[in-house]
Amino acid sequence: MDISPDQWILYEWRGLTLNATIAFTWAVMALLVLGSWVITSRLSEGETVSRWQVMLEVIVSGIRDQIADVGARAPERYLPFIGTLFLFIATANLLTILPGYQPPTGSLSTTAALAICVLIAVPVFTIAQRGLGAYLRNYIQPTPLMLPFNLISEFSRTLALAIRLYGNVMSGTIIVGILISVAPFFFPVMMQLLGLLTGLIQAYIFAVLAMVYIASATRARRQGDDEDRDGASSHTNTQQGN
Amino acid sequence: MQIDWLTVAAQIVNFLILIWLLQRFLYKPITRAMARREERIEERLADARAARKDAEDEAQAWRDRQQALEERKDEILQEARRDADALRDRLEAEIRRQMEHQRDVFAEHLNDERSVVEQALRKRMARHVLKAMRRIVADFADTELQAQLASRFAHRVETLDDGQRKRLADAAGRTHDPVLVETGVELPAPARSRITRAIHDSIADGIKVDYRTVEDVLMGIRITIGDQIVEWSAGEYLDRVETIVAESLELASHGPDGQARERSHA
Repeated sequence: MDISPDQWILYEWRGLTLNATIAFTWAVMALLVLGSWVITSRLSEGETVSRWQVMLEVIVSGIRDQIADVGARAPERYLPFIGTLFLFIATANLLTILPGYQPPTGSLSTTAALAICVLIAVPVFTIAQRGLGAYLRNYIQPTPLMLPFNLISEFSRTLALAIRLYGNVMSGTIIVGILISVAPFFFPVMMQLLGLLTGLIQAYIFAVLAMVYIASATRARRQGDDEDRDGASSHTNTQQGN
Repeated sequence: MQIDWLTVAAQIVNFLILIWLLQRFLYKPITRAMARREERIEERLADARAARKDAEDEAQAWRDRQQALEERKDEILQEARRDADALRDRLEAEIRRQMEHQRDVFAEHLNDERSVVEQALRKRMARHVLKAMRRIVADFADTELQAQLASRFAHRVETLDDGQRKRLADAAGRTHDPVLVETGVELPAPARSRITRAIHDSIADGIKVDYRTVEDVLMGIRITIGDQIVEWSAGEYLDRVETIVAESLELASHGPDGQARERSHA
């Protein structure tokens, strides 16, 4: 039994292999993009709106509200990244009800890729908003002695992201596979339903954690800058008092 | 648990492509449509708020106006009552004045009618009185009386003034007809002789005299010479009396009314 869909080679050509992870990823991408394109090509701006458009609007506005709830000031800035994380993971997990389907999120390569994207997105958003100096200064806060611990924290949480998603999805798939061989009727169905719920929750957790990391980084640095400005102003007042 | 780094790289690329595609086909169109719909809803809400404010302002204005009207209602009612009372008084005065005028006119017409009736009544009474007198005179006019009347008439002819006598003489000269003597009753021969002699002596000597009896000569004698007529009779007296009575009645009926009319006009 293959634990990871990476090992399921669908096509091989001159050393380049097309495994199930990439193939099902493309399938999920095609489903998302084509579905979005079909629905948004007939968008209505009036009072009469189709059900599919309502569904998309609910999803997009829900993601945007979640981003705003986490504490981001401009949700539209993070919407493509966080929204795509959630939609991709959720779709990839929900499609497990299809027979023969292997979720790409059950591959550590996929979850690692997504975690690396988050690892890169945090500094990218922070630097874009606050600048490179402010971002690098954050690693030596509150003292330069904390630099190694900050680095470890950065990488460990990325690793935790990847492992969490991979473990949950992979375990669900493995458990269903085992139960099919043991009790092929009732329990696999229940575990499949549980797997749908778990996959949706994992998509939500992954997206929200990514947003929390980004928001905490930008907010912490913004608070630090505010404290620096307050210190400078109080210092100026003290000098004026003297 | 192993990581295929080639797959990792491919998945990173896939994920970035997916971000771009979803941004292109999902997030932008959806957020744009939602924003436009929100703008339209906001515009409609703003229009609705403005319309509601206008309606409330107008309703408040109407309420103020209604309150003002309520406050002025008693004043308007009192004013209307005063106007109605004034109009009623004016109409009553007008009707009273018209009624008085009509009553005056009616009284005037009544007086006129009464005067006419009284006058007619008086004339009729006078006519009846004179008629009775004529009948009395006619009843008492016998031959003997006629003889005395003839004697009286002869005396009168004899005592005619010069002017009248000359006119009669001229008339006798112009005509060839005989002198016509008319009496109410047949005259006796001596009376006729007396009259003939008086005519011959006073008017025309030798002229022929004819005698005739007519009913309209009442208790008297009428002499016709050509176009001249001399009459002396009780009927002539009665005619004069009737004329005097008629003139007196006329004066009595018109005199006081004329004074009354002058007073009413004053």
